[in-house]
Amino acid sequence: MSDAKAVADRLVKAKRLNALLTPPKDLRKSLNMQVAAARPTGVLYGMPVAVKDNICTLEFTTSCGSRILEGFRSPYEATAVAKLKAAGALIAGKTNCDEFGMGSSTEHSAYGRVLHPLDKTRVPGGSSGGSAALVAAGAVPAALGSETGGSVRQPAAFCGVVGIKPTYGRVSRYGLVAFGSSLDQIGVFGRSVHDAARVLSVISGRDPRDSTCEDRDPLRLPTVPESLQGFVIGLPKEYFPSELDPAVRRACDRAIRMMKELGAAVREVSLPHTPYAVPTYYVIAPAEASSNLARYDGVRYGPRFNGATDLRGLYRATRGQGFGPEVRRRILVGTYVLSSGYYDAYYRRAQQMRALIAQDFRNVFDRGVDLLFTPTVPSPAFKAGEKLADPIAMYMSDIFTVTANLAGLPAISLPIGRVKGLPVGGQLIGQAFLEDEMIEAAYALERVVPPTDEA
Amino acid sequence: MSVSREEVLRIAQLAELDVDDDTLPTLAEQMSRILDYVAQLSAVPANGSVKAFVPGPDAIRFRADEVTPSQLAFGPDEFAPDFKEGFFVVPKLGQFE
Repeated sequence: MSDAKAVADRLVKAKRLNALLTPPKDLRKSLNMQVAAARPTGVLYGMPVAVKDNICTLEFTTSCGSRILEGFRSPYEATAVAKLKAAGALIAGKTNCDEFGMGSSTEHSAYGRVLHPLDKTRVPGGSSGGSAALVAAGAVPAALGSETGGSVRQPAAFCGVVGIKPTYGRVSRYGLVAFGSSLDQIGVFGRSVHDAARVLSVISGRDPRDSTCEDRDPLRLPTVPESLQGFVIGLPKEYFPSELDPAVRRACDRAIRMMKELGAAVREVSLPHTPYAVPTYYVIAPAEASSNLARYDGVRYGPRFNGATDLRGLYRATRGQGFGPEVRRRILVGTYVLSSGYYDAYYRRAQQMRALIAQDFRNVFDRGVDLLFTPTVPSPAFKAGEKLADPIAMYMSDIFTVTANLAGLPAISLPIGRVKGLPVGGQLIGQAFLEDEMIEAAYALERVVPPTDEA
Repeated sequence: MSVSREEVLRIAQLAELDVDDDTLPTLAEQMSRILDYVAQLSAVPANGSVKAFVPGPDAIRFRADEVTPSQLAFGPDEFAPDFKEGFFVVPKLGQFE
């Protein structure tokens, strides 16, 4: 059993990263109580798991990285958190993130940016950047994040850790603060595929409180395979464009060679609607966000930004001052694409494109491909501030990850090498609810690929 | 520019969001760029026969129609900005068009 002080000390030591939002005093106090109460029979007994700040906990406040929920104590906890505690895990504080999960660099947090653990001038990725940074720094073996367009896999790739986004409906969203409800899914970070997978296994499974969560048993962990014999791995050509960073391509080529050596059959495939994935995502996600974030009005919870003399003024002042610039932009874009006159041109068109993107994947999987292998992100971690003034440049960081969210598929990112000291992630995209196959292949690849060697 | 400042203000009104004069020009410029960027979707021919894709269970599962007490660890008096005698207190309604 880990002792509370050692767990807290490791987290406090990583303070310079600004990855943890929980004050050390609150963390120590809660961990002492949790260690005393933890059930010794659980499969995660004593394992500290940090939790992204948009997932509700009773132990700590839940601010979603936003001023509009500053100091908010949730009166209930997420199902994923309850399942972790029932398995004996320790909730090791709340991690910094882009406000409401909107961002790809964790620079859009009201509580300051998170530093990349290997280079403080760079971003850790986002939106779950705090969770990724803490796992990469060795402060916790695993952490929860959440994904709407790549917010677990992209920071996992940037920080050199493992990140899994499960199939939509695999993990209950109860207690995950909503951003884009048809895309949102809780995901996990781990130092290794096994650490991430065993946490995923615990939090997965049916939940009567979330009607979009599938009525299935928790994920069963596969064993580590000797080879990849029998696996057919597809390489979607749209994910290896000519302008891909050459070092990222070299790291991918090395991983592909190793999968072949392990016995996998590798073939090129095509997902023709891929170029439309980012624009589709940046219509659907803001549309859903503008609706979901209508609930923050300064009336029922969260701080109230005063100065208003009537109710409408209260709404506008609270929302105008409580939301940061990226969230405001997305609420406005979402309101615009849903407004009458534009709904057909933008939203309906995006919904149709989403169906075509999902069909692309089905076509490939129907032709005998088991898994797809791609780079997770087109380049290694970028410099802080580099993409802040250009929202579209920031959005392009999600180009290889948004498709799995749009199609509801499971995907994993694992470290496959480094470029000038910065980690590069490789991604495996699996078929819906076949996380076990995807994890099996990731186990095999992890055993042979040198995660910290230059590509 | 595809979105004018006036349009941003109208949308902001629909979204119940104050936008101050300082941020308005940048916001209009950025929104225009985002909307111009996503407009590439219109290059794809509209196909009315494509059924929207929604992930998740094929059919909505209904819960038993039973009243269950809410399982909150504590009540709104502990998290609402202004809560008195069982009510959320707000300023006067004012004018809603």
